[in-house]
Amino acid sequence: MNGTILALGGGGFTMGPGDPALDELVLELAGGPSPRVLFLPTAGGDAAAQIAAFYGAFGDRPCRAEVLSLFRLHGSLKTIRDIVLEQDVIYVGGGSMRNMLAIWRAHGLDVILREAWEREIVLAGLSAGAMCWFDGGVTMSSGPPEVIDGLGFLPGSLSVHADGEPGRLPVFYDAIRSGALPGGWALDDGVGLVIEGDEVSRIVSSRPGATALRVDAVSSEIVRSRTQPALLGDGGRGVSADIREFRALSDASRRSARRTSR
Amino acid sequence: MGRVPQILALGGGGFSMEAGNPLVDDFALQITGADRPRVCFMPTASGDADHYVVRFYRRFSAVAECSHVSLFRRDKGAGAVEGDIESHLLAQDLIYVGGGSVLSLLGTWRAHGVDAMLRRAWRRGVVLCGLSAGSLCWFAEAVTAFHGPPQSVRGLGILPYSNCVHYEGGRRTAFADAIASGQMRPGYGVEDGAALHFAGRELADVVSSREDADAYFVGPGGERRLGVRCLARTLAAA
Repeated sequence: MNGTILALGGGGFTMGPGDPALDELVLELAGGPSPRVLFLPTAGGDAAAQIAAFYGAFGDRPCRAEVLSLFRLHGSLKTIRDIVLEQDVIYVGGGSMRNMLAIWRAHGLDVILREAWEREIVLAGLSAGAMCWFDGGVTMSSGPPEVIDGLGFLPGSLSVHADGEPGRLPVFYDAIRSGALPGGWALDDGVGLVIEGDEVSRIVSSRPGATALRVDAVSSEIVRSRTQPALLGDGGRGVSADIREFRALSDASRRSARRTSR
Repeated sequence: MGRVPQILALGGGGFSMEAGNPLVDDFALQITGADRPRVCFMPTASGDADHYVVRFYRRFSAVAECSHVSLFRRDKGAGAVEGDIESHLLAQDLIYVGGGSVLSLLGTWRAHGVDAMLRRAWRRGVVLCGLSAGSLCWFAEAVTAFHGPPQSVRGLGILPYSNCVHYEGGRRTAFADAIASGQMRPGYGVEDGAALHFAGRELADVVSSREDADAYFVGPGGERRLGVRCLARTLAAA
Protein backbone atom coordinates (compact mmCIF):
# COMPACT_ATOMS: atom_id res chain seq x y z
CA MET A 1 0.00 0.00 0.00
CA ASN A 2 1.34 3.41 -0.95
CA GLY A 3 1.07 6.51 1.20
CA THR A 4 -1.86 8.91 1.13
CA ILE A 5 -1.54 11.91 -1.19
CA LEU A 6 -3.19 15.28 -0.49
CA ALA A 7 -3.34 17.41 -3.65
CA LEU A 8 -4.41 21.04 -3.12
CA GLY A 9 -5.56 23.34 -5.91
CA GLY A 10 -4.07 26.28 -4.02
CA GLY A 11 -4.38 27.94 -0.66
CA GLY A 12 -2.65 26.66 2.43
CA PHE A 13 -0.07 28.51 4.44
CA THR A 14 1.92 29.91 1.51
CA MET A 15 -1.02 31.78 -0.03
CA GLY A 16 -2.74 34.84 1.40
CA PRO A 17 -4.27 34.60 4.85
CA GLY A 18 -3.65 30.87 5.09
CA ASP A 19 -5.98 27.91 5.59
CA PRO A 20 -5.44 26.44 9.05
CA ALA A 21 -8.07 23.78 8.29
CA LEU A 22 -5.83 22.44 5.53
CA ASP A 23 -2.78 22.46 7.81
CA GLU A 24 -4.81 20.50 10.37
CA LEU A 25 -5.85 18.01 7.69
CA VAL A 26 -2.19 17.43 6.80
CA LEU A 27 -1.40 16.45 10.38
CA GLU A 28 -4.58 14.37 10.65
CA LEU A 29 -3.56 12.35 7.57
CA ALA A 30 -0.13 11.77 9.07
CA GLY A 31 -1.62 10.57 12.36
CA GLY A 32 0.32 10.15 15.58
CA PRO A 33 0.85 12.66 18.37
CA SER A 34 3.80 14.50 16.79
CA PRO A 35 4.37 13.65 13.13
CA ARG A 36 7.51 14.76 11.32
CA VAL A 37 6.70 17.21 8.53
CA LEU A 38 9.28 18.11 5.89
CA PHE A 39 8.63 21.13 3.67
CA LEU A 40 10.11 21.16 0.14
CA PRO A 41 10.10 24.76 -1.14
CA THR A 42 11.99 23.82 -4.34
CA ALA A 43 9.41 25.17 -6.81
CA GLY A 44 9.66 28.63 -5.28
CA GLY A 45 13.46 28.55 -5.29
CA ASP A 46 13.46 28.03 -1.52
CA ALA A 47 12.01 31.53 -1.12
CA ALA A 48 12.53 32.85 2.41
CA ALA A 49 8.89 33.99 2.64
CA GLN A 50 7.59 30.47 1.92
CA ILE A 51 9.89 28.94 4.50
CA ALA A 52 8.84 31.50 7.11
CA ALA A 53 5.17 30.82 6.32
CA PHE A 54 5.75 27.09 6.79
CA TYR A 55 7.27 27.55 10.22
CA GLY A 56 4.50 30.06 10.99
CA ALA A 57 1.85 27.47 10.14
CA PHE A 58 3.44 24.33 11.60
CA GLY A 59 5.99 25.58 14.11
CA ASP A 60 3.45 25.78 16.94
CA ARG A 61 1.44 22.70 16.02
CA PRO A 62 2.02 19.26 17.50
CA CYS A 63 4.57 18.15 14.93
CA ARG A 64 8.26 18.31 14.14
CA ALA A 65 8.66 20.78 11.27
CA GLU A 66 11.77 20.82 9.07
CA VAL A 67 12.73 22.28 5.68
CA LEU A 68 14.83 20.65 2.97
CA SER A 69 16.67 23.24 0.89
CA LEU A 70 18.17 22.27 -2.46
CA PHE A 71 19.84 25.66 -2.86
CA ARG A 72 21.54 26.32 0.45
CA LEU A 73 24.12 24.33 2.32
CA HIS A 74 22.51 22.05 4.80
CA GLY A 75 25.56 21.79 6.99
CA SER A 76 24.72 18.15 7.56
CA LEU A 77 26.36 14.92 6.55
CA LYS A 78 22.95 13.28 6.22
CA THR A 79 22.05 12.44 2.66
CA ILE A 80 18.82 13.74 1.13
CA ARG A 81 17.48 10.17 1.16
CA ASP A 82 18.10 9.83 4.90
CA ILE A 83 16.35 13.14 5.57
CA VAL A 84 13.31 12.33 3.42
CA LEU A 85 12.72 8.76 4.54
CA GLU A 86 12.59 9.62 8.25
CA GLN A 87 9.51 11.85 7.75
CA ASP A 88 5.79 11.21 8.18
CA VAL A 89 4.71 13.93 5.74
CA ILE A 90 6.44 15.58 2.79
CA TYR A 91 4.75 18.92 2.03
CA VAL A 92 5.63 20.41 -1.37
CA GLY A 93 5.19 24.14 -2.01
CA GLY A 94 4.13 25.91 -5.19
CA GLY A 95 6.07 27.83 -7.83
CA SER A 96 7.75 26.67 -11.01
CA MET A 97 6.85 23.03 -11.64
CA ARG A 98 9.34 22.79 -14.53
CA ASN A 99 12.21 23.92 -12.30
CA MET A 100 11.08 21.80 -9.37
CA LEU A 101 11.02 18.54 -11.35
CA ALA A 102 14.32 19.30 -13.09
CA ILE A 103 16.01 20.08 -9.77
CA TRP A 104 14.54 17.02 -8.07
CA ARG A 105 15.87 14.85 -10.89
CA ALA A 106 19.29 16.50 -10.68
CA HIS A 107 19.43 15.56 -6.98
CA GLY A 108 17.82 12.14 -7.48
CA LEU A 109 14.88 13.26 -5.35
CA ASP A 110 12.24 11.99 -7.80
CA VAL A 111 13.34 8.42 -7.07
CA ILE A 112 13.56 9.07 -3.31
CA LEU A 113 10.03 10.51 -3.22
CA ARG A 114 8.72 7.43 -4.98
CA GLU A 115 10.38 5.36 -2.29
CA ALA A 116 8.86 7.59 0.41
CA TRP A 117 5.39 7.12 -1.10
CA GLU A 118 5.88 3.35 -1.27
CA ARG A 119 6.84 3.45 2.42
CA GLU A 120 3.46 5.06 3.19
CA ILE A 121 4.83 8.53 3.91
CA VAL A 122 2.08 11.09 3.26
CA LEU A 123 2.77 13.32 0.24
CA ALA A 124 1.00 16.69 0.34
CA GLY A 125 1.30 19.84 -1.69
CA LEU A 126 -0.35 22.69 -3.49
CA SER A 127 -0.18 23.94 -7.04
CA ALA A 128 3.09 22.62 -8.55
CA GLY A 129 3.38 20.55 -5.37
CA ALA A 130 0.02 18.90 -6.15
CA MET A 131 0.23 18.45 -9.93
CA CYS A 132 3.63 16.78 -9.70
CA TRP A 133 2.20 13.50 -8.37
CA PHE A 134 -0.05 13.01 -11.44
CA ASP A 135 0.66 12.07 -15.05
CA GLY A 136 0.56 15.74 -15.93
CA GLY A 137 -0.90 19.18 -15.45
CA VAL A 138 -0.85 22.77 -16.68
CA THR A 139 2.05 24.98 -15.62
CA MET A 140 2.97 28.63 -16.06
CA SER A 141 6.66 27.94 -15.42
CA SER A 142 7.68 29.54 -18.71
CA GLY A 143 5.07 32.32 -18.72
CA PRO A 144 1.96 31.28 -20.67
CA PRO A 145 0.08 28.17 -19.47
CA GLU A 146 1.24 24.92 -21.07
CA VAL A 147 1.00 21.17 -20.55
CA ILE A 148 3.70 19.56 -18.42
CA ASP A 149 4.42 15.96 -17.43
CA GLY A 150 4.41 15.05 -13.75
CA LEU A 151 6.06 12.19 -11.90
CA GLY A 152 3.15 9.89 -12.73
CA PHE A 153 2.67 8.30 -9.30
CA LEU A 154 -1.07 8.84 -9.80
CA PRO A 155 -2.99 8.21 -13.02
CA GLY A 156 -4.81 11.15 -14.60
CA SER A 157 -4.14 14.88 -14.66
CA LEU A 158 -4.57 17.88 -12.38
CA SER A 159 -4.98 21.59 -13.03
CA VAL A 160 -4.80 24.09 -10.15
CA HIS A 161 -6.01 27.60 -9.19
CA ALA A 162 -9.12 27.02 -11.33
CA ASP A 163 -10.74 30.10 -9.77
CA GLY A 164 -7.62 32.23 -9.16
CA GLU A 165 -5.88 31.69 -12.51
CA PRO A 166 -8.65 30.70 -14.95
CA GLY A 167 -6.24 31.07 -17.90
CA ARG A 168 -5.07 27.51 -17.25
CA LEU A 169 -8.51 25.97 -17.89
CA PRO A 170 -8.78 26.36 -21.71
CA VAL A 171 -5.32 24.81 -22.05
CA PHE A 172 -6.37 21.99 -19.72
CA TYR A 173 -9.58 21.29 -21.68
CA ASP A 174 -7.76 21.34 -25.03
CA ALA A 175 -5.09 18.98 -23.73
CA ILE A 176 -7.68 16.49 -22.49
CA ARG A 177 -9.71 16.78 -25.66
CA SER A 178 -6.64 16.12 -27.84
CA GLY A 179 -5.34 13.34 -25.60
CA ALA A 180 -2.19 15.27 -24.63
CA LEU A 181 -3.37 14.85 -21.02
CA PRO A 182 -5.54 12.07 -19.59
CA GLY A 183 -8.80 13.07 -17.90
CA GLY A 184 -8.46 14.65 -14.48
CA TRP A 185 -9.39 17.32 -11.98
CA ALA A 186 -9.38 21.11 -11.96
CA LEU A 187 -9.33 22.39 -8.39
CA ASP A 188 -10.11 25.82 -6.96
CA ASP A 189 -7.87 27.37 -4.32
CA GLY A 190 -8.60 25.77 -0.96
CA VAL A 191 -9.84 22.48 -2.45
CA GLY A 192 -8.01 19.23 -1.78
CA LEU A 193 -8.20 15.68 -3.07
CA VAL A 194 -7.29 12.97 -0.58
CA ILE A 195 -6.03 10.02 -2.60
CA GLU A 196 -5.47 6.57 -1.15
CA GLY A 197 -4.04 4.02 -3.52
CA ASP A 198 -5.25 5.25 -6.91
CA GLU A 199 -8.64 6.30 -5.55
CA VAL A 200 -9.91 9.71 -4.52
CA SER A 201 -11.28 8.95 -1.06
CA ARG A 202 -12.30 12.48 -0.01
CA ILE A 203 -12.80 15.84 -1.68
CA VAL A 204 -12.53 18.66 0.85
CA SER A 205 -12.38 22.43 0.96
CA SER A 206 -11.38 25.08 3.45
CA ARG A 207 -13.34 27.76 1.58
CA PRO A 208 -17.11 27.86 1.08
CA GLY A 209 -18.11 27.95 -2.59
CA ALA A 210 -14.85 26.47 -3.85
CA THR A 211 -15.34 23.43 -6.07
CA ALA A 212 -13.64 20.50 -7.76
CA LEU A 213 -14.25 19.95 -11.45
CA ARG A 214 -13.85 16.52 -13.01
CA VAL A 215 -12.90 16.75 -16.70
CA ASP A 216 -12.86 13.82 -19.13
CA ALA A 217 -12.86 13.35 -22.87
CA VAL A 218 -15.65 11.22 -24.28
CA SER A 219 -15.27 10.63 -28.04
CA SER A 220 -13.19 13.82 -28.38
CA GLU A 221 -15.67 15.94 -26.49
CA ILE A 222 -15.11 17.39 -23.04
CA VAL A 223 -17.42 16.19 -20.28
CA ARG A 224 -17.34 18.21 -17.06
CA SER A 225 -18.93 17.47 -13.73
CA ARG A 226 -18.68 19.75 -10.73
CA THR A 227 -18.37 18.38 -7.20
CA GLN A 228 -19.13 20.24 -4.02
CA PRO A 229 -16.34 19.37 -1.59
CA ALA A 230 -16.94 18.67 2.09
CA LEU A 231 -16.25 21.85 4.03
CA LEU A 232 -13.47 21.49 6.59
CA GLY A 233 -13.26 22.72 10.14
CA ASP A 234 -15.19 25.77 11.29
CA GLY A 235 -17.07 26.37 8.07
CA GLY A 236 -13.93 27.04 6.17
CA ARG A 237 -13.37 30.65 7.01
CA GLY A 238 -9.82 29.74 7.83
CA VAL A 239 -10.03 31.16 11.32
CA SER A 240 -7.55 29.88 13.84
CA ALA A 241 -8.49 28.42 17.22
CA ASP A 242 -7.54 31.49 19.27
CA ILE A 243 -9.58 33.81 17.03
CA ARG A 244 -12.55 31.43 17.31
CA GLU A 245 -12.21 31.52 21.09
CA PHE A 246 -11.99 35.34 21.05
CA ARG A 247 -15.11 35.58 18.89
CA ALA A 248 -17.04 33.19 21.10
CA LEU A 249 -16.08 35.23 24.17
CA SER A 250 -17.02 38.56 22.60
CA ASP A 251 -20.34 37.10 21.35
CA ALA A 252 -21.08 35.92 24.89
CA SER A 253 -20.24 39.27 26.46
CA ARG A 254 -22.37 41.08 23.84
CA ARG A 255 -25.29 38.77 24.66
CA SER A 256 -24.95 39.35 28.37
CA ALA A 257 -24.63 43.13 27.77
CA ARG A 258 -27.86 43.02 25.80
CA ARG A 259 -29.53 41.07 28.57
CA THR A 260 -28.38 43.62 31.17
CA SER A 261 -29.62 46.59 29.15
CA ARG A 262 -33.03 45.00 28.86
CA MET B 1 32.60 39.08 -34.73
CA GLY B 2 35.92 37.57 -33.85
CA ARG B 3 35.76 38.02 -30.10
CA VAL B 4 37.75 35.33 -28.31
CA PRO B 5 35.56 33.18 -26.04
CA GLN B 6 36.40 33.94 -22.40
CA ILE B 7 35.49 32.51 -19.02
CA LEU B 8 36.37 33.92 -15.61
CA ALA B 9 35.92 31.22 -12.96
CA LEU B 10 36.07 32.40 -9.33
CA GLY B 11 36.66 30.01 -6.46
CA GLY B 12 34.59 32.40 -4.39
CA GLY B 13 34.54 36.16 -3.99
CA GLY B 14 33.33 39.13 -5.98
CA PHE B 15 30.27 41.09 -4.79
CA SER B 16 28.66 37.90 -3.45
CA MET B 17 31.37 37.24 -0.88
CA GLU B 18 33.79 40.16 -0.72
CA ALA B 19 31.73 43.25 -0.02
CA GLY B 20 34.05 46.25 -0.28
CA ASN B 21 36.63 44.51 -2.49
CA PRO B 22 35.73 45.38 -6.10
CA LEU B 23 38.87 44.00 -7.77
CA VAL B 24 37.76 40.68 -9.27
CA ASP B 25 34.43 42.09 -10.45
CA ASP B 26 36.25 45.06 -11.99
CA PHE B 27 38.53 42.61 -13.77
CA ALA B 28 35.47 40.79 -15.17
CA LEU B 29 34.15 44.08 -16.56
CA GLN B 30 37.57 44.99 -17.95
CA ILE B 31 38.06 41.79 -19.98
CA THR B 32 34.82 42.45 -21.88
CA GLY B 33 36.66 45.34 -23.57
CA ALA B 34 33.45 47.40 -23.48
CA ASP B 35 33.32 50.92 -22.01
CA ARG B 36 29.94 50.35 -20.41
CA PRO B 37 29.36 46.61 -20.65
CA ARG B 38 25.96 44.95 -20.79
CA VAL B 39 25.94 42.62 -17.79
CA CYS B 40 23.27 40.01 -17.13
CA PHE B 41 23.06 38.30 -13.75
CA MET B 42 21.84 34.71 -13.42
CA PRO B 43 20.95 33.98 -9.76
CA THR B 44 19.56 30.52 -10.63
CA ALA B 45 21.79 28.56 -8.23
CA SER B 46 20.34 30.53 -5.30
CA GLY B 47 16.74 29.95 -6.42
CA ASP B 48 16.66 33.56 -7.72
CA ALA B 49 16.97 34.92 -4.18
CA ASP B 50 15.66 38.51 -4.10
CA HIS B 51 18.41 39.83 -1.84
CA TYR B 52 21.03 38.50 -4.24
CA VAL B 53 19.44 40.24 -7.23
CA VAL B 54 19.36 43.50 -5.24
CA ARG B 55 23.04 43.16 -4.33
CA PHE B 56 23.92 42.62 -7.99
CA TYR B 57 22.20 45.82 -9.10
CA ARG B 58 23.74 47.72 -6.21
CA ARG B 59 27.21 46.59 -7.28
CA PHE B 60 26.99 47.03 -11.06
CA SER B 61 24.28 49.51 -12.02
CA ALA B 62 26.62 52.52 -11.84
CA VAL B 63 29.20 50.97 -14.17
CA ALA B 64 27.22 48.68 -16.49
CA GLU B 65 23.92 48.15 -18.30
CA CYS B 66 22.39 45.64 -15.90
CA SER B 67 19.69 43.02 -16.22
CA HIS B 68 18.89 39.66 -14.70
CA VAL B 69 17.16 36.46 -15.75
CA SER B 70 14.79 34.75 -13.33
CA LEU B 71 13.88 31.17 -14.21
CA PHE B 72 11.59 30.80 -11.19
CA ARG B 73 9.24 33.70 -11.85
CA ARG B 74 8.90 33.73 -15.62
CA ASP B 75 5.14 34.30 -15.27
CA LYS B 76 5.48 37.04 -12.68
CA GLY B 77 7.47 39.81 -14.35
CA ALA B 78 9.20 41.35 -11.33
CA GLY B 79 11.67 43.25 -13.51
CA ALA B 80 13.49 40.23 -14.91
CA VAL B 81 14.03 39.59 -18.61
CA GLU B 82 10.85 38.16 -20.15
CA GLY B 83 10.13 36.31 -23.39
CA ASP B 84 13.15 35.60 -25.60
CA ILE B 85 15.89 34.86 -23.09
CA GLU B 86 18.31 33.63 -25.75
CA SER B 87 18.40 36.88 -27.75
CA HIS B 88 18.94 38.75 -24.54
CA LEU B 89 21.83 36.54 -23.44
CA LEU B 90 23.51 36.69 -26.85
CA ALA B 91 23.40 40.51 -26.75
CA GLN B 92 25.43 40.73 -23.51
CA ASP B 93 29.08 41.53 -22.91
CA LEU B 94 29.17 39.62 -19.62
CA ILE B 95 26.96 36.93 -18.09
CA TYR B 96 27.56 36.69 -14.35
CA VAL B 97 26.41 33.49 -12.64
CA GLY B 98 25.82 33.56 -8.89
CA GLY B 99 26.57 30.91 -6.29
CA GLY B 100 24.39 28.28 -4.66
CA SER B 101 23.75 24.66 -5.60
CA VAL B 102 25.39 23.52 -8.84
CA LEU B 103 23.01 20.54 -9.16
CA SER B 104 19.96 22.79 -8.88
CA LEU B 105 21.58 25.28 -11.25
CA LEU B 106 22.28 22.73 -13.99
CA GLY B 107 18.89 21.03 -13.63
CA THR B 108 17.05 24.33 -13.99
CA TRP B 109 19.15 25.53 -16.93
CA ARG B 110 18.59 22.28 -18.82
CA ALA B 111 14.84 22.46 -18.20
CA HIS B 112 14.75 25.86 -19.93
CA GLY B 113 17.38 25.14 -22.60
CA VAL B 114 19.65 27.78 -21.05
CA ASP B 115 22.68 25.43 -21.15
CA ALA B 116 22.65 25.48 -24.96
CA MET B 117 22.10 29.27 -25.00
CA LEU B 118 25.15 29.83 -22.80
CA ARG B 119 27.32 27.65 -25.02
CA ARG B 120 26.29 29.75 -28.00
CA ALA B 121 26.93 32.97 -26.07
CA TRP B 122 30.43 31.75 -25.15
CA ARG B 123 31.25 30.91 -28.78
CA ARG B 124 30.18 34.40 -29.81
CA GLY B 125 32.50 36.00 -27.30
CA VAL B 126 30.12 36.89 -24.48
CA VAL B 127 32.31 36.65 -21.36
CA LEU B 128 31.01 34.01 -18.92
CA CYS B 129 31.81 34.60 -15.28
CA GLY B 130 30.76 33.18 -11.97
CA LEU B 131 31.74 32.04 -8.52
CA SER B 132 31.27 28.78 -6.68
CA ALA B 133 28.40 26.93 -8.46
CA GLY B 134 28.77 29.67 -11.10
CA SER B 135 32.34 28.46 -11.68
CA LEU B 136 31.83 24.69 -11.42
CA CYS B 137 29.13 24.75 -14.10
CA TRP B 138 31.53 25.62 -16.96
CA PHE B 139 33.77 22.60 -16.41
CA ALA B 140 33.41 18.97 -17.49
CA GLU B 141 33.41 17.71 -13.92
CA ALA B 142 33.24 19.21 -10.47
CA VAL B 143 33.16 18.40 -6.80
CA THR B 144 30.14 19.54 -4.82
CA ALA B 145 29.50 19.06 -1.11
CA PHE B 146 26.01 20.37 -0.72
CA HIS B 147 24.26 17.49 0.97
CA GLY B 148 26.24 14.76 2.61
CA PRO B 149 29.78 13.80 1.57
CA PRO B 150 31.50 15.42 -1.45
CA GLN B 151 30.30 14.01 -4.76
CA SER B 152 31.23 14.52 -8.37
CA VAL B 153 28.97 16.36 -10.81
CA ARG B 154 29.07 16.68 -14.59
CA GLY B 155 29.03 20.30 -15.67
CA LEU B 156 28.40 21.88 -19.07
CA GLY B 157 31.84 20.77 -20.24
CA ILE B 158 32.80 23.98 -22.03
CA LEU B 159 36.16 23.71 -20.25
CA PRO B 160 37.55 20.14 -20.51
CA TYR B 161 38.88 20.01 -16.93
CA SER B 162 37.58 19.40 -13.44
CA ASN B 163 37.03 22.14 -10.87
CA CYS B 164 36.85 22.50 -7.12
CA VAL B 165 35.93 25.84 -5.50
CA HIS B 166 36.35 27.15 -1.93
CA TYR B 167 39.54 25.13 -2.11
CA GLU B 168 40.75 26.25 1.31
CA GLY B 169 37.74 24.39 2.75
CA GLY B 170 37.14 20.69 3.30
CA ARG B 171 36.81 19.61 -0.33
CA ARG B 172 40.51 19.64 -1.13
CA THR B 173 41.16 16.05 -0.11
CA ALA B 174 38.08 14.68 -1.88
CA PHE B 175 39.17 16.48 -5.07
CA ALA B 176 42.78 15.24 -4.89
CA ASP B 177 41.64 11.67 -4.14
CA ALA B 178 39.13 11.61 -7.01
CA ILE B 179 41.81 12.75 -9.46
CA ALA B 180 44.56 10.49 -8.07
CA SER B 181 42.29 7.45 -8.37
CA GLY B 182 41.34 8.33 -11.94
CA GLN B 183 37.66 8.86 -11.09
CA MET B 184 37.95 12.47 -12.13
CA ARG B 185 39.99 14.15 -14.85
CA PRO B 186 42.74 16.63 -13.89
CA GLY B 187 41.64 20.17 -13.13
CA TYR B 188 41.74 23.27 -11.01
CA GLY B 189 41.31 23.91 -7.29
CA VAL B 190 40.60 27.58 -6.60
CA GLU B 191 40.47 29.39 -3.28
CA ASP B 192 38.12 32.23 -2.38
CA GLY B 193 39.39 35.47 -3.89
CA ALA B 194 41.23 33.77 -6.78
CA ALA B 195 39.93 33.53 -10.36
CA LEU B 196 40.94 31.58 -13.45
CA HIS B 197 40.80 33.49 -16.72
CA PHE B 198 40.39 31.22 -19.75
CA ALA B 199 40.82 32.43 -23.34
CA GLY B 200 39.16 29.76 -25.41
CA ARG B 201 39.85 26.56 -23.50
CA GLU B 202 43.35 27.63 -22.41
CA LEU B 203 44.19 29.16 -19.06
CA ALA B 204 45.45 32.66 -19.88
CA ASP B 205 45.79 34.25 -16.46
CA VAL B 206 45.13 33.69 -12.76
CA VAL B 207 44.16 36.77 -10.76
CA SER B 208 43.19 37.41 -7.17
CA SER B 209 41.57 40.11 -5.09
CA ARG B 210 43.91 39.55 -2.14
CA GLU B 211 47.43 38.41 -1.36
CA ASP B 212 46.63 35.08 0.25
CA ALA B 213 44.31 33.59 -2.40
CA ASP B 214 45.82 30.71 -4.35
CA ALA B 215 44.87 28.39 -7.18
CA TYR B 216 46.23 24.96 -8.08
CA PHE B 217 46.38 22.60 -10.99
CA VAL B 218 45.69 19.09 -9.71
CA GLY B 219 46.79 16.02 -11.66
CA PRO B 220 47.17 12.32 -10.78
CA GLY B 221 50.58 13.10 -9.29
CA GLY B 222 49.33 15.82 -6.94
CA GLU B 223 48.79 19.56 -6.96
CA ARG B 224 50.92 22.35 -8.44
CA ARG B 225 50.46 25.93 -7.26
CA LEU B 226 49.76 28.36 -10.09
CA GLY B 227 51.29 31.80 -10.41
CA VAL B 228 48.63 34.22 -9.18
CA ARG B 229 48.61 37.88 -10.19
CA CYS B 230 47.29 39.83 -7.24
CA LEU B 231 45.12 42.66 -8.55
CA ALA B 232 45.63 44.72 -5.39
CA ARG B 233 49.38 44.72 -6.03
CA THR B 234 48.95 45.56 -9.74
CA LEU B 235 46.77 48.47 -8.74
CA ALA B 236 49.33 49.74 -6.23
CA ALA B 237 52.12 49.51 -8.84
CA ALA B 238 50.07 51.51 -11.36
